[in-house]
Amino acid sequence: MSTLLTVSALSWKIQHKSILQNINFNVRKGEVIGIIGPNGAGKTSLLRCLTNQGKLLTHVSTSGSIQLKGRDLTLYSAKEVAQHFALVMQKNDAIFALSVEDVMKMGLLPHKSLFSINNDHDKAQITLALSKVGLSHELHSAFNKLSGGEQQRVLIARALVQSSQILILDEPTNHLDVYYQHQVLQLVNQLNITVIMTVHDLNLASLYCQRLLLLNKGELICDGTPEEVLTSSQLSAVFGLPCQQGIDEITGASRVSFYLKEQLQQAEIQTDE
Amino acid sequence: MNKESVNKAPSSKTPAILFTLAALVIVSAIASITFGPANIGVNDLMSCLFSSCQNQVANVVIWQVRIPRVLVALVAGMGLAIAGAILQNTTRNPLADPYLFGIVSGAGLGATIANISLVDNLTIALPLAAFLGALFSVVIVVFIAKVLQHMEQLLLAGVAVSFMLGSITQFILYFGEPFATNRVIFWLMGSLARVEISNFYVISGVLIIAIATVIALHRQIDALLLGDESAASLGVDVDKLRLLMLAICAALTATIVAYCGGIGFVGLMIPHIVRQLIGVTTLKLIIGSALIGAIFLIWVDVVARSSLPEAEIPIGIITSALGSLFFLFIMYRSRQSNL
Repeated sequence: MSTLLTVSALSWKIQHKSILQNINFNVRKGEVIGIIGPNGAGKTSLLRCLTNQGKLLTHVSTSGSIQLKGRDLTLYSAKEVAQHFALVMQKNDAIFALSVEDVMKMGLLPHKSLFSINNDHDKAQITLALSKVGLSHELHSAFNKLSGGEQQRVLIARALVQSSQILILDEPTNHLDVYYQHQVLQLVNQLNITVIMTVHDLNLASLYCQRLLLLNKGELICDGTPEEVLTSSQLSAVFGLPCQQGIDEITGASRVSFYLKEQLQQAEIQTDE
Repeated sequence: MNKESVNKAPSSKTPAILFTLAALVIVSAIASITFGPANIGVNDLMSCLFSSCQNQVANVVIWQVRIPRVLVALVAGMGLAIAGAILQNTTRNPLADPYLFGIVSGAGLGATIANISLVDNLTIALPLAAFLGALFSVVIVVFIAKVLQHMEQLLLAGVAVSFMLGSITQFILYFGEPFATNRVIFWLMGSLARVEISNFYVISGVLIIAIATVIALHRQIDALLLGDESAASLGVDVDKLRLLMLAICAALTATIVAYCGGIGFVGLMIPHIVRQLIGVTTLKLIIGSALIGAIFLIWVDVVARSSLPEAEIPIGIITSALGSLFFLFIMYRSRQSNL
């Protein structure tokens, strides 16, 4: 697999507070990468750096480099970045009653010139993307009236219309029930494009990601397969809780459980008895 | 802020609605010429518009008084409604309005200073001073928002600047000469009684530039509707776009206010109607707002000039009264739908 993205010695500060420190990793074409770590580890900040979203923030200083196809990301225009990266955010700020079609048309923006109008090819692209996420029948529905899972699927479909090579998802399973969590992540896996996403649920990350990046306090602690990253010692150190690792009997994926110290002590006492 | 409920026409009906509205603009513009203190019949109107005019008084009234007035009402209604629509979509705030950005307060201050100090040539000085005052207020609003490093706080900065400039105006008027004070107060109430055809050309020029810019950037403005982060991820320079749109709205509103005085609520009310009728995306909103804004102001001006036998009602009084009633109705209806 060819390397799409190379992150080298990336550090990021906001108002002198270090958010990311000396991050190094590569992303190869077609990989599904999960970024995991506790709250405040720098997961979303890393995604912001990758999509040049740091511009929206103030008092930001960046060092190191992000190379996209061998060229520094800062040399790409905002439009070119949008042609390579599609972002699915954790939440949306829609106030007005947008239809699903309105949201889907936004995905065409990076490929359109100023006065261009939508053609039949654009409409076909929108229909195809919606059918891939199983929401063709919702084209004229109100986006705000869809369930959280359906909204995520529409935003993923919008990312497909954007025709980007890398799909970035920020906590795609947040606020979703178990059924939609699996549905959304399975969908992401079936798209056959490069995916980088932040995931809170480590077992979901293990199940759906080929590779995991474990962040803590802005540092990259471990980069590897779920089996390599989700080790008891590593996770206990990062999350500050005793952890047990095992293999899920049905999926065969690594599985982790966290306990409070008191719970473990209680369990040991009961075993001894 | 509450999310708006969905109640819009299917997109297949949009062309028919827009076509009907465009026809209504033309019909309104022609029909409204017959209303006013001087009695102009339909026959007089038709002969003066489309053939040689027999009634010379009617000819003068139609071509030199009514047509300039109707045309200015048409473009002013379009401009104010478009300015409101642009601001609402770019700030994602259904209550955004050019007036909330201090534009009218700035214009009022400019007009007050002109009235007090440049009494000799007010025909040019008053609109020019009002225009400069409006632009001055926008510059202060943007400067404050930049210093605070938060473009989302534009609206709050606008409200603060509006009150500040309003208090300076009142201070000047309080100590000013009573005749000049009266003139400013009447100007602030808004009127199309003294407009000329040249005003129509100037407002139209700014309007065409504004519409062309918005049409060119409509996809980028639409991208803002799902949030700044979403728009930036689609390649939009959010701050630059918002500043450009604010500048366009300021120029549009300042030009209209300079010639017509304070006409409130049009920019707030019309986009609300359009969103319910046609849709929320920028292109539909701008075209719909332009057409309904034009129809609205043409007929409000008819009421202003023909309701009282010997006098005119300032147009701003009517738009404010209608606007407040409209919002009470909206509040009542949203309460009903929530029950």
